[in-house]
Amino acid sequence: MIPSLFPSKRRLQQRRAQKFWAVAALALLTLIFAACAPQPATVGDTTQEEAAAEPQPTAAPAAEEAMAPIKIGALTPLSAPGAVVGGEAMRDAMLIAADEINAQGGLLGRPVELIIVDTEGLPERGTAVTERLINQDAVVAIGGGYHSSVGVAAKEVAHDNGVPVVFAETWNDTITSVQYPEVFRIAPLNSEVSAVDVKFIQWLRDEVGTRLEKIVILTENTDYGIPAAEETTRLLGELGIEAVTFGVDIGAQDFAGIIERVKAESPDMIMTLATGEASYNFTQQAADAGLGPQDVPTLCNQVSLVSDAFWTNVPDGNFCFVRRVGLPTQLYNDVAINFLAEYQARTGKEAAESYALAAYDSIMIIAQAITEAGSTNPTEIIAALENITHEGSLGTITFPVNQNNTPEQAGLDPKWWHQFPDPAITIVQYQEEGQNSVSATVVYPQTYQTADPVIVGQ
Amino acid sequence: MACGSLPFARNRMEHAAIFGWALLWFAFWGVVGGVITPQIYARKDLEISQASFGGAVIGAALGPFSLLPLWIATPKIDNRMIGVAGALVVGIFITAFALADPDNLCVANGEFVISQLANGIVIGIIYGLMALGLTLIFSILGVVSFAHGEFYMIGGMVTYFMTAEWLPGAPPIVGILASCVVTFSIGYIFERIFLRPLGSGQIERPGEYAILVTFGLAFFLQYFTQALASANPVKAQRFFPFPRTEIPLDSGSLLRTTPGNITILDTISIPNPRFTAALLALIMLAALLWFLYHTWTGKALRAVSQDRQAAAVAGINPNSMNTLAFSLGAMLAGLSGASLVQVFSWLPQVGIPAAARSFVIIVLGGMGSLPGAFLGGLVVGIVEAAGTGCVPDATRAAAYIPAYGMVILTLVLLLKPTGLFGREL
Amino acid sequence: MSRAVLYRVAGLVAVVILLALPLASAELDGLGPLVFNSYFMHLAITAFFYAILASSWSLLAGYAGQFSFGHMAFMAIGGYTTGLIGKFIRFTTAPTELCADIPLPGNWWLVILNARRVGTIDETCIDMAKTQTLPSGALIIFPPVWASIAMGLVMGATFGLLVGWLVLRLRSAYLALFTIGFSEILRAALSAEIPITEGQSGLELLPLFPSGINLFGQTFSDTSKIPPYYAMLLLFLLVMLLMTWLASSRFGLFIRAIREDEEAAAALGVNIVRYKVLVFVITSALAAAAGALQAHYIGIITPNILIILQMSLVIAMAVIGGLENIYAASVGALVITFALELLRTNIAIGPIRIDMSLWRLVFFGLLLMLTLRFQRNGLLFPLLERLNRAGIAEETVAMRDASN
Repeated sequence: MIPSLFPSKRRLQQRRAQKFWAVAALALLTLIFAACAPQPATVGDTTQEEAAAEPQPTAAPAAEEAMAPIKIGALTPLSAPGAVVGGEAMRDAMLIAADEINAQGGLLGRPVELIIVDTEGLPERGTAVTERLINQDAVVAIGGGYHSSVGVAAKEVAHDNGVPVVFAETWNDTITSVQYPEVFRIAPLNSEVSAVDVKFIQWLRDEVGTRLEKIVILTENTDYGIPAAEETTRLLGELGIEAVTFGVDIGAQDFAGIIERVKAESPDMIMTLATGEASYNFTQQAADAGLGPQDVPTLCNQVSLVSDAFWTNVPDGNFCFVRRVGLPTQLYNDVAINFLAEYQARTGKEAAESYALAAYDSIMIIAQAITEAGSTNPTEIIAALENITHEGSLGTITFPVNQNNTPEQAGLDPKWWHQFPDPAITIVQYQEEGQNSVSATVVYPQTYQTADPVIVGQ
Repeated sequence: MACGSLPFARNRMEHAAIFGWALLWFAFWGVVGGVITPQIYARKDLEISQASFGGAVIGAALGPFSLLPLWIATPKIDNRMIGVAGALVVGIFITAFALADPDNLCVANGEFVISQLANGIVIGIIYGLMALGLTLIFSILGVVSFAHGEFYMIGGMVTYFMTAEWLPGAPPIVGILASCVVTFSIGYIFERIFLRPLGSGQIERPGEYAILVTFGLAFFLQYFTQALASANPVKAQRFFPFPRTEIPLDSGSLLRTTPGNITILDTISIPNPRFTAALLALIMLAALLWFLYHTWTGKALRAVSQDRQAAAVAGINPNSMNTLAFSLGAMLAGLSGASLVQVFSWLPQVGIPAAARSFVIIVLGGMGSLPGAFLGGLVVGIVEAAGTGCVPDATRAAAYIPAYGMVILTLVLLLKPTGLFGREL
Repeated sequence: MSRAVLYRVAGLVAVVILLALPLASAELDGLGPLVFNSYFMHLAITAFFYAILASSWSLLAGYAGQFSFGHMAFMAIGGYTTGLIGKFIRFTTAPTELCADIPLPGNWWLVILNARRVGTIDETCIDMAKTQTLPSGALIIFPPVWASIAMGLVMGATFGLLVGWLVLRLRSAYLALFTIGFSEILRAALSAEIPITEGQSGLELLPLFPSGINLFGQTFSDTSKIPPYYAMLLLFLLVMLLMTWLASSRFGLFIRAIREDEEAAAALGVNIVRYKVLVFVITSALAAAAGALQAHYIGIITPNILIILQMSLVIAMAVIGGLENIYAASVGALVITFALELLRTNIAIGPIRIDMSLWRLVFFGLLLMLTLRFQRNGLLFPLLERLNRAGIAEETVAMRDASN
């Protein structure tokens, strides 16, 4: 051995190792930095342990088994590529529901534990976490659900395991039209929403006297956008209105080329069935090109209801029409008013989004079903859900098409299976720049109308 | 492309067969020319470096009518010959398209064509600026930065947060300068810590290391930004709203501006944010050229890119030039982001497609060529505009925007991997 | 004990542990305190899946020096191929007359189904044929899952050949540039062609064993985790065996020679383009096979598996494990898959809440860069090496003792 060689090499290694640990320390620093980073303004208690309520002191200590919390699962997108803003709102709403149930003494004398899982907006992830909820956490029912594609995938797992699920915000028709006994939905049906859009357009033409012969539809290439565009086109065709559809990828950014093509069609109205930032990008770029909501009547996408984001991204978006699900605030019932107060207190938001209300209701319905069933047996919960009449924040929720009244017997399309038949849908219009969507003018239907629509470019 | 059963109107070409045959003609004679020409030239002991590419283009242009004379006379294939043949190919392509789909807006509506072209050029200038940064880095360090898109994203984010959140109401120039400082600094720090050992031979196989470490940086920066700024889309206000003016002409107007738009001759309409972004890009370009050609540091940079050893002998420290080039390249990406954040809604993910586009541009222009990057940017801008404007199927035209760039990339790699102005590899 | 023997014993022990793991699963009532629930089994299967991807990527990048950012794209090609076969192809004993029928020998027909309208559950031609044209008693058979997985592998290899032939004649940076674009395009196409691929809502696939399976005298249903566990483990072991053989053969020598110095290798008579394409085709095919198997196991595949994040994770796994060693890369994948899942739980330090679902990715990005810069051989490879060195020391001592 030549001793002089090794120390130098070792020293070199040592120096490298030192360097490595120095930088590893740097890595740790980022983690600490992470701790100091601003957090989204949401309620603090989101971990499942904290969501569970304190055990009730009145219960007998002997009934330890019976004291175990009743677990309810909650699906919501909490990280990208899911819609995180919507997911966090739903999470907060469902936590409010769980806290409310526990504050009133839990269910069947047992506390409720809400187990929230992150679907990431991905169907494969939705499958995995639903399975985890059922097989690992042993939940008795599942609420929530935002992305349609996740709902489509998750319903299969629920069906395989016979666990009831109440979807809050998944619009895809097929979720109910497959008629699984376990699957319930309080969100509107995609096809019914299209029908509302078309009725509104018809009303604009026939009652308000707007010139409407040709409509351009901008749709995203997804299972939400394409069927909605097809259905709308079909319904408009029945009214003698021509519709031209342009499709975009959900990540699309630059719409200059498409807007020139839209311009060449010289439409009387533009309708946006693209969600997310694509909707903002399109509307603002159209406005820049002289084809915005202030130049042509525009039915903006429902994402425009997130007022802050809308006005940041679409400063020229005044006079946008937006479809809104849920009752207007002036028609809120007591449940909704109480929920709104709590929601405002916890999140600091001015208003509750329709999906927050729906998420809250999805948990409350499950709770009522468990109470009525008097059991946590999934089959009995399903039976209770079928016959339920729930006073929720969305109104009186029932599922009239069920095993006792099948779609065949009722003479209805299978999509109405286990479907809440009448979620209120209104059309609002921003009539002042920077307006909040809650105070935006309700223009349709006339029963809810607060002011006449402003029709531009006639 | 399968068209499925989407019942939308005006989806298809009227005489798709004409267009299909034209494409088949190009493909067949291109392959024949590209494969056989070099063999003939080699047999006659002639220069074959251009034979494959030239043969392919000349073959695609007129098929046997141009190939047979070429093979018999075997003239020296020069750039002019390829240029003429290339123009012919483009001409035949456009004619075939026009014949195939006479009602298409791109054929029937002149104003539409001019507007699309203007849009393509305007956005192409900004693409060019971004690609310029990438190609600058490549020419000095010999490294393709896979984090280029993230610098672009951060440039936009900083501009937005500066002008809208941290200093509301600050003039846009503050935001732009801040984004320059931030992207330059990140580039500087990264280069010093992670890329400096490349030059000193401390790292084995530097090329592979550089690909991975810049990719790691991209991964890190993207999620770091998302963790700090959240994934909500944001957008800066337009930098300079136009006043409402009009320069009238006998019929219509020469120039008309509204706060959001500028219209030239009643036909070319360019939205304000794009116009200002392109203008900013051009100013930056002028500043960059001035820097490269009229300052000592700039000349030193160019010297290093041409010959590292010779530059070192002349007293230029190549290491500091590396740092400068990388930071400068990152800053150019940041600048294009800063100028586009008033055009597009901004998210932590916006860098990915932008980076992919820059890769196409620098390969098209020739890796390491500055004029190539700028020209490549214009070409990609125009091709994308033409693609979205002319593809008959409206439901797909915009869904495949990134694909148009990939078609260019594939063709370049097939035909002339060195790009328009590239050095030999 | 000699070094090679030590390695083999260690490997064997690891394999035996992996093989025996399901015995402790909750499904089989577990072994004492070691009860693994089905979610653990799910993670283990996913970990094998990532291990195949990371180790095959390390063969491509670490051994051959070719950097592809399209590994996940080939994985997706495998998954979508098998999914589309399952969606569109059936075998029948009578012609349907409503679908495209292709007669096969032996009175069988290969039937190609039509695409459904988007967003509907309309009847396909085979559903209509069942009630209208097919005689009663006619059989309708799905293509066997293993065969369509094999087709996925073939498609992966085919695309690998095309891309490799186009790009690998050039410098390695071109491969990286092209494959990033390639996977973006594939993602756009898979999301846009909804009638065929179902777009963002995902293509549903048959379970790996559609009618359950009998294993060790016990019957497992189609939703059981144990058969997929063994299927994925088997594929993983096969892939590792194949790659071990490749790496230690002349082929492995050549690709490493190409990595070190292309010109020198070419001068020595190695056909560098052929070898580069070959290694690219092989690793792409392996990725496709893993993708096909995983798609059947999960039951659904969407274009989102192509987001750059997924590719970044595979790279991080390979690099942190040890890029230049396929075993280290696969161990890296196993460790990181579980780490990513464990780190998902949000941390609350007093009033401050850290959203770990995001910060863990930031952390891994940083770790990736730092590992590359300061521990080029990865974080796990040196551990393996230390084991190795311990072996040498023992060996030396033994030899010295023997000579005394």
